[in-house]
Amino acid sequence: MAVVGARRLLRSGRRWFSETVPGDPSPPASPLYPPVVASITAKSKAAKSRRLQRFNQRVHAAATVEEKLRLYGKLQRPKYMVYPQTFALNADRWYRSFTRTVLVPGLPPRAAAAKSPVSAAEATPEAGRAPEPPAEAAAEAPGVAEAPGAAKTPEPATGAAPFPGIGELRSLTCDALLQESFYQNKKRPFLYRDQDHTPGPFLTQLVSTLAASLSVRNPLLAASSLDLNPEVNYYWHHGEEVVVHGHRKGRVDPVRFQIDDNPHLQIRVPKQLPEVVPLESDLGDVPVIDHKPSKLPLFKKQYENKVFIGSKVADPCCYGHTQFHLLPDKLKRERFIRQRLEDQIEVVYRSNGIASLFAWTAAQAMYQGFWNEADVTRPFVSQAVVTDGKYFAFFCYQLNTLALTAETIKDNPRKNICWGTDSMPLYDVVEDGNVKGFNDEVLLHLVNFLLNRPKEL
Amino acid sequence: YPLFQRGGPQLRIFRPNFFMLAVRPGVPQPEDTVQFRVSMEMTKLDIRNYLERIYNVPVAAVRTRIQYGANNKRNHRNQRVKKPDYKVAYVQLGQGQTFQFPNLFPEKEQDAETRSFDDFRDKYMEKEKQKQEGDPRRGGVPDWFGL
Repeated sequence: MAVVGARRLLRSGRRWFSETVPGDPSPPASPLYPPVVASITAKSKAAKSRRLQRFNQRVHAAATVEEKLRLYGKLQRPKYMVYPQTFALNADRWYRSFTRTVLVPGLPPRAAAAKSPVSAAEATPEAGRAPEPPAEAAAEAPGVAEAPGAAKTPEPATGAAPFPGIGELRSLTCDALLQESFYQNKKRPFLYRDQDHTPGPFLTQLVSTLAASLSVRNPLLAASSLDLNPEVNYYWHHGEEVVVHGHRKGRVDPVRFQIDDNPHLQIRVPKQLPEVVPLESDLGDVPVIDHKPSKLPLFKKQYENKVFIGSKVADPCCYGHTQFHLLPDKLKRERFIRQRLEDQIEVVYRSNGIASLFAWTAAQAMYQGFWNEADVTRPFVSQAVVTDGKYFAFFCYQLNTLALTAETIKDNPRKNICWGTDSMPLYDVVEDGNVKGFNDEVLLHLVNFLLNRPKEL
Repeated sequence: YPLFQRGGPQLRIFRPNFFMLAVRPGVPQPEDTVQFRVSMEMTKLDIRNYLERIYNVPVAAVRTRIQYGANNKRNHRNQRVKKPDYKVAYVQLGQGQTFQFPNLFPEKEQDAETRSFDDFRDKYMEKEKQKQEGDPRRGGVPDWFGL
């Protein structure tokens, strides 16, 4: 202040202090007064933003991931419970808007490099083998079909289906199916417990035997961890709303969501799956819904804000590989057909895939220390298979962004991407010890899912 | 409704005595949702069958709730006056149909006669008000105040 006063007097032409050098611009070394900032406890917007900044700094400065998760989910308020398996109409559109996900039909093209050594080694000695049905070439692996197809034109059939041991796996699948549904003498299922009676055990048996037999080819599966009926939870904020009733009426609050999911099976691996497309890619549009989430219908409750992938933070298998979901009896195909809601059958599969995979990948990202103020620097990829015992739908999810809150989403161009197929039947009927109409395409999709691994392995 | 016992006949209602009133939603609803006030005895199945059989409207989902009518108003004898309870049904239409509650009181275009009459009436009211107020130079002081 003294220097400023002296400078002003000097500028007006009068010299008062002979010791001050004219034109002395350097300020004092340390500020004389503390910085002027907004209060912390006042009832004002500036104070609110200062409190939010202090909270963000606390979370950034947390030493361990457990401490970060504890602070992130410390404040409990009523939140919307998002159920991946829901009967709500057009739920997948709403879920895509909550999680900022783009839905791309069909599966992503698998990296040709991972498959062509396999196909090059095995396709040539098996030129005389009966050709596998190449029906899935167009949908599943155009990359695989192009690369070997260009190199080996005399073998168009085997170039699209590079898997030699498929017959063995097919027999394993049929064995599991017949054992559960035909050979084993089970009593009649209890009311509304059909899914736990046959398709549940069949799925468990199928996945464990396939994973065991494919772990030879995929060393990642050998180091993986298979969870039975695990729990996956995630808590996040998206958008803003005004509180309607109660003592906090009139305040602007973030809209809170929580997913509590119990997949039937889950495979967790120690190394992360490779990214499918680069982090900033834009493959479509996210639906924008102006209405409140309670119109879906979605209901609010207040309870623990949990973020969990299926194992605690210290577990070495902290990345996700594949989830397997079994649809409950309430969402059977026959029920929808009886209610004349045929278009909602696919919606059920899609909403289950999107919600479960978003929760899993986002929880994995939080386990690595990312959150909505510290956005992910690499994409997190996971896969899921949603089934009701007979029909299978395959989903692959890439998480590009965790920043979904009102402030962080403003300048965020990234979107999460979900690739998904329609539901395909694995078989037609099981009669007299035979499985009729087995669909190799579905088995091939499943095998490719299980064989997915990072490029180094 | 008569109680259903196993082996008994299915309940069939012909010419029901129910009425459904389509109302404008108080809060914005999604495009496929219609809001009705229905009788307190109607169930979700009743509402679905009513709309599908009588009006041929495809119904995908029905959700109901009962709105409690408040009992706070008092009449001239200080007795509490209750507003009646009613049931609200939110019906989601099937086959991709949408519904927007229409504007029942649209602004009518006024012809030249009514417009000029309205202008004349506004000017007359202004003049009357000016006369009532008094001289603005006196600054609001009443005119009986003075020498």
